Amino acid sequence: MSEVVGTIGDVEFGAELPTFAPDTGLENVKRFGREVGWGGGRFTDHEAARKEGFPGAIVPGVMSQGYLGAMIHRWAPKSEIVAIDTVFRAPVLVDHPHRIVGVVTDVDEDAGTVEIDISIVNEREETRVFGTATVRLPAG
Amino acid sequence: MKADIDELRAGFLNREFDEVRFEIDGNMFAEYARACGETDPRFTDPADADFQAPPTYVSTLVGGRALPSDFPNLGGVGMDAGKGVEWMAPIRAGATLTGKSHMHDIYTKTGRSGRMVFLVRRMELYDEDGTHVANADTRTVIRERSSE
Repeated sequence: MSEVVGTIGDVEFGAELPTFAPDTGLENVKRFGREVGWGGGRFTDHEAARKEGFPGAIVPGVMSQGYLGAMIHRWAPKSEIVAIDTVFRAPVLVDHPHRIVGVVTDVDEDAGTVEIDISIVNEREETRVFGTATVRLPAG
Repeated sequence: MKADIDELRAGFLNREFDEVRFEIDGNMFAEYARACGETDPRFTDPADADFQAPPTYVSTLVGGRALPSDFPNLGGVGMDAGKGVEWMAPIRAGATLTGKSHMHDIYTKTGRSGRMVFLVRRMELYDEDGTHVANADTRTVIRERSSE
């Protein structure tokens, strides 16, 4: 597992990014709802979400995508995410522990970019959100 | 209703159907960044010299219409299947962006429960100078209802 990287020279094909545990707590999701949007009941109220057929409140998809970006920036603080595509396979449940895992699937030193597969998994090791990202890093 | 996908593609792809302006609030994107777990001051601290929105922030910008006004009702329930972002240049606090939306892709997948139609809406974002700063894609999936 590679810790923080500074340049593309620090990145190896197949390297795992440090695991990141996003804050999926109700208070954080409520704050997101107040300050950014997506403050509806299915995101901020377990009972309201159950009435809509969910097991409980769910994390907004735009917030899940933001978790993925944060993980990449924590791993490579000088990086620029030039593209990220996110597939919502299943809900990320509020107040349930999740972790984000990632692996480098390509390194293009000429272009200065790396490709990363990145996923949010729940406590049952089920993938809830899957993403791919292209990240530019400084030469080195 | 079984939609004719080739017909939908021919009629709607790459045809702009919505234009919206956004005033970019630095305090809001800093809150977004913190809630998502960003720790880099360039995303969280308005006093940072390189303060800018996290690239994924553009996924929170919502257009005026989800679909063209003449897009047919496909008869099923739409669900958010994913988001995509292409980042070209930093988006700074106080910027005014113009978002222009079009249907970028329409395709199907067939599973055990029937056919699903995927609609990809792309919002192209431009700054005040007309510089293309980002694309924000929203992928909606609709499980078609049987016509029987």
